[in-house]
Amino acid sequence: MSTRDRVLNQNKVAKLTDIGKLIKDGDSVAVGGAWLSSHPMALVRQIIRSGIKNLHLMTILGSVDIDMLVGAGCAERLMFSFVSMEAYGLPPNFRRAVEKGNLKIDEISGLAIIIGFEATGRGVPFLPYRGPSGSDFLKQRPDFYKQIKCPFTGEDMMAIPAIKPDVAIIHAQRADAAGSIQIEGTAGSDLELAKAAKKVIVTVEEIVPTDVLRENPFKTKIPRFYVDMVIEQPFGAHPTSLVPSYVGDPWHMMKYMEMAASPESFKNYLEQYVMKSEDEYLEAIGGLKQTNLLKKLAREVKSL
Amino acid sequence: MSKYSDDYSPAEMVCVAVAREIEDGDILILGSFTPLAFVSYVLAKVTHAPNIMYMAYSSVDAGPFQLTFGTYEAAATKGGVARWNMTECIHSLYLGVGVDVEPISSIQIDGNGNMNLSVVGDYQKPMLRGPGGAGAPEVVKLHRKMLGYFPSHNKRTLVPKVDFITGTRWKISNQERLKAGLRPGPMKLITNLAVLTKEEEGRPFRIASVHPGITVNDVVNNTGFELEVAKDVPETEKPTKEQIRILREQVDPYGMVAFDFMPGKERPAYLKSILEKEIKALGC
Repeated sequence: MSTRDRVLNQNKVAKLTDIGKLIKDGDSVAVGGAWLSSHPMALVRQIIRSGIKNLHLMTILGSVDIDMLVGAGCAERLMFSFVSMEAYGLPPNFRRAVEKGNLKIDEISGLAIIIGFEATGRGVPFLPYRGPSGSDFLKQRPDFYKQIKCPFTGEDMMAIPAIKPDVAIIHAQRADAAGSIQIEGTAGSDLELAKAAKKVIVTVEEIVPTDVLRENPFKTKIPRFYVDMVIEQPFGAHPTSLVPSYVGDPWHMMKYMEMAASPESFKNYLEQYVMKSEDEYLEAIGGLKQTNLLKKLAREVKSL
Repeated sequence: MSKYSDDYSPAEMVCVAVAREIEDGDILILGSFTPLAFVSYVLAKVTHAPNIMYMAYSSVDAGPFQLTFGTYEAAATKGGVARWNMTECIHSLYLGVGVDVEPISSIQIDGNGNMNLSVVGDYQKPMLRGPGGAGAPEVVKLHRKMLGYFPSHNKRTLVPKVDFITGTRWKISNQERLKAGLRPGPMKLITNLAVLTKEEEGRPFRIASVHPGITVNDVVNNTGFELEVAKDVPETEKPTKEQIRILREQVDPYGMVAFDFMPGKERPAYLKSILEKEIKALGC
């Protein structure tokens, strides 16, 4: 959609099964969230269910989102600065794919990826910054890092080219039907993803009347002229966190790590948890009892 | 009676040594989940450095909080006075005013101060694919103080030459750093055996201190690069009884600092036991 179409369209509400209208085989897809927080996991699962393939994934700080897409065979290429399961270890599917040479990678620094998205969002072909001097990235990826001179002071600067994803996928707390998005807690660079991508799909915990957004307008981080589709999907970040709404699910993450340990058991993981509806998924991870616990844990915190 | 404790773990020794590098007035940032860094920051804040300001996830200037496994992110977020997304953090802190300290670990480090978080072996066909550097490629260079922490000081980690330079200090001496437009500050490695420091280009890391019970030979024999050894190498200051009490009673009652020091195989069971205790304490 053009920006004008996005502004004219006051009803972007869709279902998860509609994402095939915007994501095609071979697209570059920037995945939102960071660390083990706020990843658009329901959209990740829906991409796998829909059998969308050969994606060029982009992540700044990825984790189970990237590992799952790679393990399910949806990715041909991956741009990243970091993919880690943090306390749970190294990402098993990502490791296997790279060590066996089954995934093409564009590894650059996290700041470079963010700055590349920002360049696109500002409509410029590159942006300068004080880059990673001395890093092997400079030798290895001259297509991403170019030494330039500041035209005013003559200082050495690093230029990063504009990075242009076809689609950005994001999960957040709340939206209205027109697609203005509220983010309350931990936030990666989802706004920069939305500014850079040609198409933007957002799942949210709840779709509310616009007046509800007006009660707390400072929480609205992505205005509707950046958004093409909004989908209501409670616990759409599970098993990652959506603080302050719910914490990540350590029990499910440990289950994931066990089942992703080999390609065979990972197939079982996909069968048991992914190749079904999101309602069935939430039942499979423990139903209301588990989701209520994760909500409660987000409230019960100890300050000193 | 001595103010120093004799009852502490290697993890607590490293944690206290990192906390001591934090000066009041510092700006600190947390990258990904690193329990040891979290605990060091909070310990510093509730003891000698009450005015430090830290960023944790998207939480600006979070207050001191108890480190747990299930709820640490929520705790950091609740205690903050503002929310900044990752872009705002890197603009203002990494690239703008600059962060003072952020402890960073890596798969390998060499005597030139190069850190590798990418691969072991050939880059194109690695034996081990690591997580990647996140912000490290820039911040190892940019931060005022570069603090590397290594739970296991050995020749596989402290190597003659890293297999890939993910990030590097680049300019070492204060003079060279100032000339390059960087803030002067030391590069230090805090390990389970010793504190090493690098002060000048072309000069090896120096053993600044060895931890109690460790000899200079232990350190030299477990380091894959050349070290400068002074005639009298001092002992690292032990944790005080007060620091250990605060760690165990307030900041880290579940023993999260031990996590980094544990072999990978033991970690899942340890995490499960922490979770059980946490849930019980919350009455969930």
